[in-house]
Amino acid sequence: MLSVLAFLLVLFAFICMLFFTPVEQTMGLVQKVFYFHMSAAWVGMLAFLVAAVFGLLYLSRRDMKWDTLTAASVEVGLLFTVICILSGMIWARPIWNTWWTWDPRLTTVTIMAFTYIAFILLRRGVDNPTRRARFSAVYALIGFISVPLTFFSARLLRTIHPVVFGGGEADMNLNPQMLATLFISLVAFTVLYAVLLLQRARLMAQQDKLNQQVAVTDDSYDWGE
Amino acid sequence: MKAWLHSVRVLIWKDLVQEWRSRDILTSMLAFAVLSLFIFNYALELSPINRADIAPGIVWVVMVFAGTLGLNRSFTAEQDQGCFEGLIMAVPDLSAIYFAKLLTNLLMMVFLAVLVIPIYSVLYNQSLFNWAFFGVLALGSWGYSAAGTLIASMTVQTRMRDLLLPVLLFPLLLPVNMAVVKSCGVLLGSVAGQDINGWLNLLLVYDVIVTMLSIMVFEYVIQE
Repeated sequence: MLSVLAFLLVLFAFICMLFFTPVEQTMGLVQKVFYFHMSAAWVGMLAFLVAAVFGLLYLSRRDMKWDTLTAASVEVGLLFTVICILSGMIWARPIWNTWWTWDPRLTTVTIMAFTYIAFILLRRGVDNPTRRARFSAVYALIGFISVPLTFFSARLLRTIHPVVFGGGEADMNLNPQMLATLFISLVAFTVLYAVLLLQRARLMAQQDKLNQQVAVTDDSYDWGE
Repeated sequence: MKAWLHSVRVLIWKDLVQEWRSRDILTSMLAFAVLSLFIFNYALELSPINRADIAPGIVWVVMVFAGTLGLNRSFTAEQDQGCFEGLIMAVPDLSAIYFAKLLTNLLMMVFLAVLVIPIYSVLYNQSLFNWAFFGVLALGSWGYSAAGTLIASMTVQTRMRDLLLPVLLFPLLLPVNMAVVKSCGVLLGSVAGQDINGWLNLLLVYDVIVTMLSIMVFEYVIQE
């Protein structure tokens, strides 16, 4: 049910982005990537925040459910962060005349992505499930430092990355149609995130269950993995 | 509190005596640091003109890389000899173990800085003797050791061990690296006099937050 809603919302946001919003005066068509770019960035950071909260819940409750959700949230967040970085590069090529520049915002967001790639590597390196869960929770908490750093980097440091809200004079001037489309995409991506999170967590839980059953029935299974 | 301080002191003393008897870690760290300085020399073609601008970056990067050698070792003795359980039972509070390891690693880093600064100054004929510069390096080392001690306590229990430490640690160090290099650039006069209070605040806030957070979560890392 939620997946259908997510599909329809993303489709609606896509149509709004294509036909409803005007073409930006100076940047032209490429500016339209902005709606999904910012939504992906938002979902990425939200997912990492959620992962940190789930990690905290795991440490206090010791229920493997929260560990699965932490890992799922990080994976989905990483996916959206990569989408954010790639769509930003597509925009930067015509606008800044380069795919990449060592701007504080770009640097911090990439380091944030590396933090959570490290999270996945850490999980692969621990075989004992409860130990893996404890380490994941701890790393999700301490790795979260990179998220506010990324968020505030465009506001506090000297950067060429545009600030959409609360940037004072540097605020982007969005007309009502643009603003409406932005909010629709934000909502659509948030619902999509919730769907992906739940599906990924379900898949992980089933994988664990399967592995346990295989381990019980067949001791020789290990070398296949 | 008194028992806590006592156990921290004893644990630091134990690690320092252990290190003094073998001198494995410090010798490797120092050799690695000096070798890195030589690699930087021919990798970057350091001419006297651009040399001044990148001195803080080079010194800090050398310390960070050499520091991973020490961090990787900081829990291996306990892990390999199975002393963790004994250690856990011996201290009044688990944060004492973290704090002692943090201070030992910090001491190693500061000692490394004390050695690297004169070596750099001699090799590159550029005096780095500047108390403010040393202070920033020490603050950076604190943040480095605070995050590094926690990560090392995890990686030592994983399958990949040494392999995993830099991968997990370096992304977390971004604020430290930025703040140290930027503020040292100003202190050594290579960048025109900017205000460095913002960077120093960032560094201090990072140090305090990471230390507090690590103390809170450390018990979950070492206790089953």
